[in-house]
Amino acid sequence: MSGRIIMHVDQDAFFASVEQQHDPSLRGKPIAVIGSAARTVITTASYEARAFGVRTGMAVWQARQKCPHIILVTGDNRKYTYTSARIVEMMQQYTPQIEVFSIDEAFLDVTGSLSLYSSPERIAHLLKDEVRHRFGLSCSVGIAPNKMLAKLASDMNKPDGLTVIRPEEVETVLETLPIGKLCGIGARMERQLNLLGIRTCGELGRYPVERLKRKFGVTGEKLHLMGRGIDDSPVIPQEEAEEVKSVGHSTTLDRDIEGRDEILRWLLQLSEMVGRRARRYNVWGKTVTLSIRYADFDTWVERQDTLPSPINQSADIYRAAVAILDTLVLEQPIRLIGVRISNLRYESNQLPLFEEELKKVFLAGAMDQVNDKFGDFTITYGSLMEGTRREEKGAHVISPAWRPSGIRNVDVK
Amino acid sequence: MPERIREQIRVGAVFGPGPCIHPVWFDWRRRKHTVKEVTYHWRHRAGNALLLHFAVTDGSALFELIYNATELEATDGEAP
Repeated sequence: MSGRIIMHVDQDAFFASVEQQHDPSLRGKPIAVIGSAARTVITTASYEARAFGVRTGMAVWQARQKCPHIILVTGDNRKYTYTSARIVEMMQQYTPQIEVFSIDEAFLDVTGSLSLYSSPERIAHLLKDEVRHRFGLSCSVGIAPNKMLAKLASDMNKPDGLTVIRPEEVETVLETLPIGKLCGIGARMERQLNLLGIRTCGELGRYPVERLKRKFGVTGEKLHLMGRGIDDSPVIPQEEAEEVKSVGHSTTLDRDIEGRDEILRWLLQLSEMVGRRARRYNVWGKTVTLSIRYADFDTWVERQDTLPSPINQSADIYRAAVAILDTLVLEQPIRLIGVRISNLRYESNQLPLFEEELKKVFLAGAMDQVNDKFGDFTITYGSLMEGTRREEKGAHVISPAWRPSGIRNVDVK
Repeated sequence: MPERIREQIRVGAVFGPGPCIHPVWFDWRRRKHTVKEVTYHWRHRAGNALLLHFAVTDGSALFELIYNATELEATDGEAP
């Protein structure tokens, strides 16, 4: 294989496999990892459960219908983030060019490692053996000339697979491949392409690019290249990744809420989480965004406000979020709420000149120090002491932005 | 369903080679359990404290031992 050699490593049923490894009595059985919240969905199902049709995102009652003897395990994200970070650390011995795509997926550019190893397949075998030996887990590996094809390859032969797409095979592989199999073409895009009579990647590659551009704008050109198996995007290690564009937290509520007091409590908690993370990484945001999803599941409301100067104090973020909330007429009870700051500034900010403001900054700093020492929310606002706002176990949904280190390492409690 | 215990316990462990810790036995409710297998281990930070978690089995049940590497205390986290 000449040119770039990209490897995509995908852990098989990662959360479920970790739980099966952790508790030997679960091995070989249909299990599903769920969140700890009262309203929860399947996060990951083991391959034994998948055989019954249990899928990620399915409601628990649906999973029970498909597989009545399924074993539900409340997930602990701390186990998964730790394991993922160790696996990424282990991958460093094969190449420094590693892009963590999500908690259970990574791209490796192994082009430069071939002088040390005889072939990309050899690297894949060594890596798979090491993951199995050290963590008791299996992974599927795809090897191809670019990231898009490597991701496609890793999905072709799961679990515990190794698939190589050589440059000369690309055209044949794509000819009859349904477009929905490509990463980046979701269900909605697939429907739109189907309406144009495009069902396979081969058809997508042959479709006139100008027509695609007219219909989809800039994305049209990208779609054309995808259909032909072309993807020049580099593997970007975390240290070279672009600075993050926003810091935010959102949460799906245990039950739908509509009372203003309750909404405000959640806003305060989320503002504190956002503020604390922003302060930890020394960033300030000028724009505050409030996101709300109504109980009907489909309606998504997002409003933002840009302030005269950047902020990272929880109280300021909370005030801005409340001001946005006050402009909304809530049509239904809320099932999800989120707060985010964006338009970020990384330079250090000047301390406030007025004593009262200065006191607030020092107070937040002191609270942060206590929480840094004794754990998040050890000291917090009185109104957050009501109800169950803090999970003891790490069972929240892991953000797609999770990375082993840096600002993207969203704290999972 | 696992039972959350959170009791301080006495643990016999081998430290090393290197930075590894291997729990060998632990006392829980006046009974000594011999660790047959460490099925999984992970760590996380709670504030400044580094907590090492070990899922261990004595051959009949699974236990989670938590070692606070900052306070040098061992806790029995969970048992089925």
